[in-house]
Amino acid sequence: MALTLKQQLSSPGGILKFLVKYNTIFIFIVLVIFSALISDVFLTSVNLSNLLKQVSGLGIISIGMLIVILTGGIDLSVGSMVALLAVIFALLVNMVILPVAILLTIIIGFSLGSVSGYLVAYQKMAPFVATLALMTIARGLGFIYSKGSPITFKTPGGEFMSNFANNSTLGIPNIAIVFFIIVIMTMVMLRYNVFGRLIIAIGSNEEASRLSGIKVNKYKFLVYAISGALAATAAIIVASRTNLGSPNMGMAWELDAIAAVVIGGASLNGGRGTAINTLMGVLILGLIGNILNLLNVPSYPQQVVKGVIIIFAVLLQRFESK
Amino acid sequence: MKTSESEYRVEMTGISKCFGVVKVLENVNIKVKPGEIHALLGENGAGKSTLIKILSGVHPKDSGKIVLNGKEINPKNPHEGQVLGISVVYQELSLVNDLSVAENIYLHKLGSRKFWMNWKKITQDAQELIDSLGFKIDASAKVRSLSIVQKQVVEIAKALSEDTKVLVLDEPTTVFDPTDIKKLFENLFKLKEKGISIIYISHHLDEIFKIADSVTVLRDGVDTGSMAVSDTNKDGVIRLMIGRELKDLFPVRDVKIGEVPILEVKNLTAKNTLVHDVSFSVRPGEVLGIAGLGGSGRTETAKLIFGADKKKSGTLILNGKEIKTKSPVDAAGHQIGFVSEDRKEEGVFLPLSIRRNISVTNFDSISSKLGFINVDNEYKKVLGLIEKLNIKTPNSEINVKNLSGGNQQKVALAKWLSIDSKVIFIDEPTRGVDVGAKIEIYKLINEVAKKGVGVVVISSDMPEIMGISDRILVMHKGTFYGELQKDQFSEENILRYSIGEPLKQ
Ligand SMILES: Nc1ncnc2c1ncn2[C@@H]1O[C@H](COP(=O)(O)OP(=O)(O)OP(=O)(O)O)[C@@H](O)[C@H]1O
Ligand SMILES: [Mg+2]
Repeated sequence: MALTLKQQLSSPGGILKFLVKYNTIFIFIVLVIFSALISDVFLTSVNLSNLLKQVSGLGIISIGMLIVILTGGIDLSVGSMVALLAVIFALLVNMVILPVAILLTIIIGFSLGSVSGYLVAYQKMAPFVATLALMTIARGLGFIYSKGSPITFKTPGGEFMSNFANNSTLGIPNIAIVFFIIVIMTMVMLRYNVFGRLIIAIGSNEEASRLSGIKVNKYKFLVYAISGALAATAAIIVASRTNLGSPNMGMAWELDAIAAVVIGGASLNGGRGTAINTLMGVLILGLIGNILNLLNVPSYPQQVVKGVIIIFAVLLQRFESK
Repeated sequence: MKTSESEYRVEMTGISKCFGVVKVLENVNIKVKPGEIHALLGENGAGKSTLIKILSGVHPKDSGKIVLNGKEINPKNPHEGQVLGISVVYQELSLVNDLSVAENIYLHKLGSRKFWMNWKKITQDAQELIDSLGFKIDASAKVRSLSIVQKQVVEIAKALSEDTKVLVLDEPTTVFDPTDIKKLFENLFKLKEKGISIIYISHHLDEIFKIADSVTVLRDGVDTGSMAVSDTNKDGVIRLMIGRELKDLFPVRDVKIGEVPILEVKNLTAKNTLVHDVSFSVRPGEVLGIAGLGGSGRTETAKLIFGADKKKSGTLILNGKEIKTKSPVDAAGHQIGFVSEDRKEEGVFLPLSIRRNISVTNFDSISSKLGFINVDNEYKKVLGLIEKLNIKTPNSEINVKNLSGGNQQKVALAKWLSIDSKVIFIDEPTRGVDVGAKIEIYKLINEVAKKGVGVVVISSDMPEIMGISDRILVMHKGTFYGELQKDQFSEENILRYSIGEPLKQ
């Protein structure tokens, strides 16, 4: 084989390249060190476990967002879906036994996601438009079903969930464990499973995928459905933490989820992104909020800082792709 | 400003370039006089396109000197190169699909001149330009609607402007049929007379000996010197390129062709393209060539059978059973394969690694029932194919967009030729592939046929289609005009059928 391109082991700027390549993890570590230095509360287990609890819900929908974005799409409905599904879960918890409530909520999430998926994959609607419509529909339904006010858990099942959501196992909050399991499953799926490989292929060149005999529509449909199911999972977690389902939950979460995915280096054009980096993106967003809270920075400056970090992260990535 | 008496229009001396740790060019020199056509040759991945991109300002050079008209230049981006009079037709098409032909042709001139554009005049000018080149394309049509041949013509038109001093063409004819090539050459001779320097890259050595005055051969990023074309010949150039003699470009075929057709196509007519009343059959083990002029409907026929275009009527019979191919998914399910001529848009996944590209069609053989991939098997398969097709790359994890054009083509082929098919359509199999690698691809096609696959090859390359086919069907205006048996193969016969004339008796 004519391998003339000799791979040299070391090259000048190797370390810099490494940092650029793994910039999300790098930013994360820098932020952790920085936070630990400026606040002595930061590294306490109470604070860290709070931080993890806060990001888990957002984290789960961010994973859904990631797999949608990998195909070159976007799912704007996830925030409202969390609200609607939290309301539905609260209603169900008060009506049927817990396993059924959980299962039904996830099935409903999957079905609602399927509606977006159907519109995008089979009706060729732009993902932005289809999911924007779903976003307002879900929010509206949330208010209708809850009659505008939060619905509290009233059954032993609800109590069980609320205990589960607020407790830890081996020092890690249970809901963070759920989130991490989802991250790991997604990681494995994207690397070692045909489904993951195919959605990445579709996102990087849809026409070539079609002509490779890939069922492009089926996979595009499925990613939205899965995103819906993950929104349901997030909704269950978020509702359980507060012991209620409210139509005001998940406000603008779709934007945070997109931000997390983008900070994690995924391309909005599709075909590029990993679960581990999205996890980093979620943690970075959570960290920023956490440390600014600890420093008593009000919420408006927090938003500014968040925006600046997003720009910074994406600029670093452009540097990488050169 | 210093002007020297150098007889050269453009001189690149001592050019070196690395991509990361990979050394692509080392101390390369090339000099072109005004009114000269200079051929740049070399194997896939030798560094031809990279050298050109350094000249035009796409890539910065690591070291070396570029002198244009006696003055050193350092274009930092393609726009600067253009302003200096360096126009390039790149190997990969770079048109904006949603703009019109005229808009594309004048796109790069926007920013520089006035604020308002007179689009009507621009469309007229573009039309005149295309007409003067001798091609038929509507300047107001959207680029998306053009065939790949027409897109290539638009690229060429785009590169021509009144201030062009150096024109570079990086494999401009890979999709052209002989008549298109002839037209292009006439145009190049006209430009040459005007004193424009032309650098011409091609793997079709016949073309080089028809038009070039001098030639530089690159080998693994090093130039082996320049010479006048009259001082060398095809074998000499090949020896410089690949370091050995090449015996038979077309390997001998000793395949037994089955009696019963594996695929029969009857009266196939397309809904949205010019293809109509197409009937033919291909037998297991047979290599069936489809020839014809650009735009005659060859690609469209393959796409129609593959389910990528919509059918109006007609039947497909696979192994004696009627099948329906409403989509490529159906076709692939029936083990029908299709390698597109448009590798960038329809063939490969540019941002993904070679491994991920090849695996896409291979999951059946490398994954479990639940869809989990056996990564060891995956590597084995992919590395085997990289070696077999001689894909020039440090490893299987390189993104396809960082491969040279010819090596990208090999990846596109590897995707399909590595799986079990019953029938496979290959549209321009060796587009942009060097002479040495062509042989490997022909061997592979033979190997595939030997397994009892019906191979349908569409090609504009006359020697190729005659060299590898058992039988040739010639398309004319959307349907088959005639069929040639092996003893009837000749360029003349193919051309006659292509333009809708009977053979000479
Ligand atoms: N952007 C890039 N990043 C990294 N490597 C690159 C890049 N572009 C090209 N290369 C590598 O540089 C080498 C030379 O590529 P180049 O495209 O110049 O070859 P070429 O002579 O034009 O080949 P072909 O005949 O196949 O078009 C190849 O090994 C290719 O993989
Ligand atoms: Mg090239």
